[in-house]
Amino acid sequence: MEMRKRYFSLLGTLFGLPVLMALLGGCATMEPKKPPAMVPTDRGTVVYLEKYEFKRPPEGWALMRNVEGGDFELGFMKIEKGDFPTQTTFMYDEFPYGSSQDLDKRADYYCTKFLFNSGIEAKVTRREKATVTGREALVLEMGGENPVQKEKAKSIISLVKKGNRIVSFVCTQWRPLNGTFSEEPFGHFEAFLQSFRFLTKDFYEQLEEEMTKAGL
Amino acid sequence: MEAHNRDLYLYKRLNARVVGVSMDDPVTNKHFAKSLDLQFPLISNVLPWMGMKYGAFSHTPPFRPDGTPSWFGRRTVIIDQNSIVRFIKDGSPDNQEILLFLLKLEKEFRGKK
Repeated sequence: MEMRKRYFSLLGTLFGLPVLMALLGGCATMEPKKPPAMVPTDRGTVVYLEKYEFKRPPEGWALMRNVEGGDFELGFMKIEKGDFPTQTTFMYDEFPYGSSQDLDKRADYYCTKFLFNSGIEAKVTRREKATVTGREALVLEMGGENPVQKEKAKSIISLVKKGNRIVSFVCTQWRPLNGTFSEEPFGHFEAFLQSFRFLTKDFYEQLEEEMTKAGL
Repeated sequence: MEAHNRDLYLYKRLNARVVGVSMDDPVTNKHFAKSLDLQFPLISNVLPWMGMKYGAFSHTPPFRPDGTPSWFGRRTVIIDQNSIVRFIKDGSPDNQEILLFLLKLEKEFRGKK
């Protein structure tokens, strides 16, 4: 009797498996193929999620994307040769520190928060007005050292006026205290920045349009 | 808090006002507001009756048996012009969701005028 039970259960497994595989196979073929995050253009740039166009950095730079409620919209990162923390990241951030709609006031506040949690004693070494993505901007260069962690960082930040809001592009390079900063990653950031275009209206631009239509 | 501060110009256009409520004392709130450059009022509700009234505490009493305070949960509440609670959400506020809701409320209010 016990043998018969085993026989039936084995038979059940053998017959059940192909059915299960067929069902799962069916699911796999029915799932729509996700489009790639970055689609190349014939201008040597990529279109990211149909929202932005920019020149991406070369192979070896990993794409960082905001999955849920992060601090930035998209960015790239490269772990470079050398001791920790030899790496560079750059990103586009829709919500830089602060809330002022005035570029100068926003920059003043921004500098008090940026890199603060890393323990880096950051100083502003350059601050100048510029035009970024065809918009009024303020470019900051900041850097400093954390002698306790034996780390140093150098950053280039562009705070850009976009409608009533301010967005930012930030590149930060990390090195051990005895390391040397490299200009090449900043070059890729510059190429990213110079080629960056907004292809669609963002949430706030659409909302303000809707509010104006509603007479608000 | 910083996100609400950033969106104040939109809240103003939507005829909404932001008020923050915390269990911290007024001096702590003042320092907190200054550190973030907050441009809206913070209410100090040390004995957290507001938090209890608006359900930020749910079933938790304001003080534990050992006397330590039982802090607020994070809750966003939107009250309309007729003092009716129209929106409640726990956790970190989603400002885009809040702004869309306020736009809907304002359109609804204007439609009734």
